[in-house]
Amino acid sequence: MGRRRFLDVILGGGITALLVGIVYPVFRFIIPPEQPEADASRVVAAKTSELPPNSSKIFKFGKDPAILVHTKSGDYRAFAAICTHLDCTVQYRDDLEHIWCACHNGHYDLNGNNISGPPPSPLAQYEVTVRGEDIIVSKA
Amino acid sequence: MNIPYHRSVLLIVVPLVVLCLPAISDAESSCISCHTDLPVDELSQPAQNFTADLHNLAGFGCQDCHGGDPTVGMDDYELAHSASKGFIGVPDEQEIPGLCASCHADVEFMKQYDPKLQVDQLLEYRSSHHGKLLAEGDDKVATCVSCHGVHGIRPIDDTRSSVYKTNIARTCAGCHSDEDYMAEYDIPTKQFAQYKESIHGRKLMDEGDLAAPTCNNCHGSHGATPPGLTSVSNACGSCHANNLEYFNQSPHNDAFAMMEIGKCETCHGHHDVEQPTREEFGIGEDSKCLDCHSEGDAGYTAAKVMAEGYDSLETTLDQARELLERAERGGVDVSLGKFDLHSADDALIKARTAVHYFDTTKYNEVVQAGLIDAQKVIEQGHEAVDDLEMRRIGLAFTIPVILLVALALYLRVRQIERTKPYA
Repeated sequence: MGRRRFLDVILGGGITALLVGIVYPVFRFIIPPEQPEADASRVVAAKTSELPPNSSKIFKFGKDPAILVHTKSGDYRAFAAICTHLDCTVQYRDDLEHIWCACHNGHYDLNGNNISGPPPSPLAQYEVTVRGEDIIVSKA
Repeated sequence: MNIPYHRSVLLIVVPLVVLCLPAISDAESSCISCHTDLPVDELSQPAQNFTADLHNLAGFGCQDCHGGDPTVGMDDYELAHSASKGFIGVPDEQEIPGLCASCHADVEFMKQYDPKLQVDQLLEYRSSHHGKLLAEGDDKVATCVSCHGVHGIRPIDDTRSSVYKTNIARTCAGCHSDEDYMAEYDIPTKQFAQYKESIHGRKLMDEGDLAAPTCNNCHGSHGATPPGLTSVSNACGSCHANNLEYFNQSPHNDAFAMMEIGKCETCHGHHDVEQPTREEFGIGEDSKCLDCHSEGDAGYTAAKVMAEGYDSLETTLDQARELLERAERGGVDVSLGKFDLHSADDALIKARTAVHYFDTTKYNEVVQAGLIDAQKVIEQGHEAVDDLEMRRIGLAFTIPVILLVALALYLRVRQIERTKPYA
C-alpha cells in the first residue's frame, strides 16, 4: 500500500469512527433508557385509577422514597417516606388510617405529624395536584 | 424553740412593714408596690419575680394564694394582712398541693384559660411517692413549687421554665443529686450524672432533640413513680415498643422473670443507657450475651448466628453503597439504586430490633429479606459501574482516533502542498 493510500484509509476510518462517536449518544438520547430521568422537584406519582380511598403508594421522588396517601375522605396527600427517627421507609396502615414505621413503631398522622413512638419530627409534606388521570406530586 | 418558716417570715415582715409605713402611706395600695421595695430579699424578691409570673400575666394577684386584701390600702397594714381578710401568709408545705389544686383541679375554672390544660395533677400527686410521703408528714419532699418554682412561674413550653423539657433533669437533680438532702431516703444520687452522659441525656440536653426522654417520661410527672409501674421495661417499651414486644415473645422473657432481673435494664442499664453497638451482641469480647451464656450452650450459638447474619447484611450493604457511590462519582445516575438501597437499609435497622426475638429463625427472616434487597442493589451498582467503564473505554478509544485523524489530515495537507506546482 502506498503512502497516499495509507493516509486515505486512516482518514476515512478515523472520520467514520468519529461519526459513530457522535451518532451513538444521539441514538441513546432518542431511545431513552428504561430508568426514567430523576426529577427532584416534580413527578407523576400515580394514576387515580390505581389508588382507591384508604390506600397508599410508595413512589420514587428523586432518589428518595415518598408516600402518596389517598385518604378515606378522598384527599390525596404526599410525604417524604423516610422516618425521621432512623430513616426507615414508612408505610400507610389502612387499619389505623395513618402512617406507620415498622422499624420502631413510629406513628404519623395524615398531616405528617409525629404522634407516637420515637420519631422526633414530622414528615416533610409535598404538594399534590390531580391533572386528569395523573396525580402529580411536587415539592413546595 | 422551733419556729415554722412561715411564722418566722411574719416575725420579720411585720416590724419591717411598720417601719416602712410612713414612706409608703401615700403610695398606691398593693402588695407588689410595698414588697418590691422592702430591704429584705426574701420579702422583695417574690414581688419582683411575680411581675413575670404567668399567673400575674393572667390577672391573678398575691391575695389569690396568700389571702389578705390589697385594696385596703397601705395605711392599714394590719387589716390588709388580717385573718378576717383571709390572710394565710406563706402556705405550709402540707398546704401547697391543695392550694394550687383549688384552681388547677377545678375543671370549669381552668378551661376558661386553656381547654387543653390537665386538671388531675393533685390526684396524680397523691398517688406518687412524693405525695404519699408528704401525707405522712414529710415536709422535705417535692410539692408543686419545688419543680415549677414560685412567684416566677413560666409556662411549661417556655424554654426558661424549670419544667421545660430540656430543664427537667436539672430540676429533679436539684434534690435528687444532693447527697446530704437525700441521705435519709436511701436512694442513689448519681442518676443525673449518669443521665447526662447517656444517649438520652446527650440527645436532649446537648442536641436539643425533644423526642429524647427525660426523668418524667419514665417516672411520670405529678404521679412520679406511679402505682402500676412495676417494671422499668414498661417505661422503655412506651417508646421502644417493638423491642419490648419482641422481647416478650422471646425465650428470655420467662428466663429473666425467673431470675427476677429486668427485661431492658439488664443489658442496657437505667439512667446510663448508651447507644447500643454491634459489639454488644454476638460472641466477641464486649458481648453482653456472654454475661450469661458460654460456648456450647444454645444462647451462645444463637448469638453467634445472629451476629454473623448482621455482619453479612452490613457488609453486603456496604458493598452495594460503595458500588453506587463509585458510579455516582463518575457521573452515572444511580437514583433508582439509591431508592432501592433505602429498603435494604431498613432491613439492617429492623435486624437491630429483631435481635430482641433472641430467635435465629425470626431474626434470619429479617436478615434474608435485607440480603435479597441488597443483592438487587449490588446488581444495579454493577450495571452502573459497567456503564461508567463503557464510557471510559469509549473516551479512551475516541481520543487516539481524534489525534490520528488530526495527524493524518496534517500529513495529507503537506502532501497536497508538495505535489502542487508553485505559482
